[in-house]
Amino acid sequence: MDSNQKRFVEDALDLLNELDEGLLQLEANPQATAPLEQVFRTMHTIKGGANMFGFENIGNLAHHLETLYDFVRQGKMQVTDGLISITLHAFDKVRDLLQEKDATKIANAAELNDHLKIAIEFLKNAESTNIAGANQTKIGKDELATFFLRITPTINITQDGNHPLVFILKDLEALGTAQTFCYSNAGNEVANWDMFLSTTFPQTEVESYFIFVDKECRLEITHLASGDLFGCKEFVKYIDNHRSTPVDPTALFELAQKSAAKVKTDSVQEPDDETSSKNKKKNHNDTYIKVSKRKIDDLLNWISELIILQAQLVNTSSGVNSQELTEVTEHLEMITNHLRDTSLEIGLVPMETLVTKFKRLVRDLSKSLNKKVNFLSEGADTEMDKDLIELMTEPMIHIIRNCIDHGIETPDERKAKGKAEHGTVKLKAFNTNSYVNIVISDDGKGIDKEKVLAKAIEKGIVSATDSLTTDEILNLIFHAGLSTASKISDVSGRGVGMDVVKQKINDLRGYVTVKSEMGKGTSVHIKLPLSRSIIEGLLVKVDETRYIVPLNVVDRIDRINYENLCLDNLVNKSVLVNEELLSVFSLRHRFHAKTNAPKTTDVISVTVNGVRKGISVDRIEGKMQTVMKPLGDVYQQQDFIAGSTILGDGSLALVLDPSRLFQMSNN
Amino acid sequence: MNNESFPYLTFALGEEKFAIPVEHVQEVVEFGQVTKVPNAPNYMLGIINLRGRVLPLLDTKQKLGLPATILTQKSRIMVLDIQGENDKNIQIGALVDVAREVVDIAEKEIHDAPEFENLKTATPITGIVNNQGNITMIMDIKKVFSVKEVLEINQSLN
Repeated sequence: MDSNQKRFVEDALDLLNELDEGLLQLEANPQATAPLEQVFRTMHTIKGGANMFGFENIGNLAHHLETLYDFVRQGKMQVTDGLISITLHAFDKVRDLLQEKDATKIANAAELNDHLKIAIEFLKNAESTNIAGANQTKIGKDELATFFLRITPTINITQDGNHPLVFILKDLEALGTAQTFCYSNAGNEVANWDMFLSTTFPQTEVESYFIFVDKECRLEITHLASGDLFGCKEFVKYIDNHRSTPVDPTALFELAQKSAAKVKTDSVQEPDDETSSKNKKKNHNDTYIKVSKRKIDDLLNWISELIILQAQLVNTSSGVNSQELTEVTEHLEMITNHLRDTSLEIGLVPMETLVTKFKRLVRDLSKSLNKKVNFLSEGADTEMDKDLIELMTEPMIHIIRNCIDHGIETPDERKAKGKAEHGTVKLKAFNTNSYVNIVISDDGKGIDKEKVLAKAIEKGIVSATDSLTTDEILNLIFHAGLSTASKISDVSGRGVGMDVVKQKINDLRGYVTVKSEMGKGTSVHIKLPLSRSIIEGLLVKVDETRYIVPLNVVDRIDRINYENLCLDNLVNKSVLVNEELLSVFSLRHRFHAKTNAPKTTDVISVTVNGVRKGISVDRIEGKMQTVMKPLGDVYQQQDFIAGSTILGDGSLALVLDPSRLFQMSNN
Repeated sequence: MNNESFPYLTFALGEEKFAIPVEHVQEVVEFGQVTKVPNAPNYMLGIINLRGRVLPLLDTKQKLGLPATILTQKSRIMVLDIQGENDKNIQIGALVDVAREVVDIAEKEIHDAPEFENLKTATPITGIVNNQGNITMIMDIKKVFSVKEVLEINQSLN
């Protein structure tokens, strides 16, 4: 493959991600023009590139699919599930092919022909129905309208009641963009609902929802204006102000007409709301250049060296009594720190691509499992190390699969429980200090604590006499060989997986915990270090060796007499530290037993996997931020040492991996 | 006969003289500070800081089953570049009693190695050079310091 083709493949893979994103948006919102345009544009770009660089088969496929979407653009056809599905599948194949990175294989792939056939077939069908019902199917954006609905129940009903009316409102909200206010009278009963709804469905359709409840309520429906009034700030503000007091329909109507006129002029300036906001964000972030990962890695390596050298300089210059030297050193330190921070950011990319992947996963999975699932994401612009994103993709896919397969109930079950038919899987990402937090939660049935415990006892993972806290029981799901699903599905439930998930996250020096409430849902919280090489820790000394305890797990430090640590004669191998019994791992006892012990020892309380433990050292020397270096392949088995770091005086300190340290002490 | 000759670095372990191809040697440094890594076999002396790089340090003699090296003024660390797993090169430091010189040895001077019994491990030697009774053994460093073997020994210890 020549370099141009390589570049095409790289670009096309990016474009395919955008395409996926657009298609999913389009599926969720079939009448929206912005995603449609995006899909059309992206396909067009792929087509052009493919033809130019000798992948005519991809170009041909893209061409036919593009034609389909052109029909949609012209209003001759509607976006259907089928259309989205064949497009997604066709481009999945293209993606698989491109990832092979083999020009002849790509150019000769016969598999694409199948997809091409499907697309042509679809096109034919579309054309034939088109001629027949061109007028009927034509639905443009113009028919989008905003309605005001005032529903006054004639029976006594409460907001959280189980009356069909409540569900009808929910269904109506699903027709488009909606905002509902509920006004109650003194007895906590519903006086009336005011709903603002912008939808492409005609008024008659909306009214038809009330056919079966016309005796239980009175409906006033007003066609406020054509177009989506939610795009107009004044309108939104106006209805927002009426949260507690019902609006006056006449005043509302006047405002709506005014707003509608405004929306029209606005929309001329901003052709498509959704994409323009996205573009704005990108423009704001300057221009982009593509840089090879290797160059960034090199840069980071050099900066690591610089940080070490800088620490040595500080150390050396402190021995020299020179004002000038101190000033230069301090200045250099400041610049080095800036350089470190900036360089770390270079390697970070937003999680957006991951989110698109997950949306796709949720869509496919929920379809195949006959469940209805919405996927929400928050903080997709949170930045993460690119390697980290790649390493985390599999584990996170696994968690989401579990959410949908085990967590979310079938629509019938959900209805029976009084939940919305659509389950929700939510991904939330945010930064804290030097960590990236990812929370994946669902509103499904939750984890059955008792079942997990029973299973764990049955498998001998814990004994029946152990008294475990709720958190400890829930976190047993990360144990190898434990699955509570009574039936094994294709998707999950073999009991392999969650332990691998945990292992992977541990390897990245991250943490994972799970919280769950029966009937309400489950959330998995993953915490990952921003950078894989820079850590903050406590520098401690044991005998002549220095260790570093990562600061993120440290809770507190206590100084006790060394004799208290001599546990050999005790049944309960715990030490009383700060009036709390702690199982303490003595580094001196285990690794440096030969030399004479000091009088006192510092016990560092750490929380590992949700459990409080202690590490005892001779002396704590201070806190430091440092670059971690791997120990090398020959020390693979000493994995309780995560790495080493060079101290200011040129000597080395060993970075402990607390969770592995305790794992080792258990064996 | 092949008349080509290649440069070798010669060094000594106790009374015995060895040589390794120079291409595997990055440099030779004096023994400085070493940081012991706990729970590792004895021949793994720890890690050293080589101008900002962290290298594992192995005691060549212990690795070969001989008594531990006693540090002297002449003790040296050979920084070796050897092929590890997945064709990835790894660097290690090997402690030897004396590092001598770089000499050219013609291939025809190298004879097949006889079976040695004083070295406990499977003979890690590719050949010997007999210079009028002055014997130099060509060490098979790939074998002596193979990562795979190091890990296996490690595993049996744990």
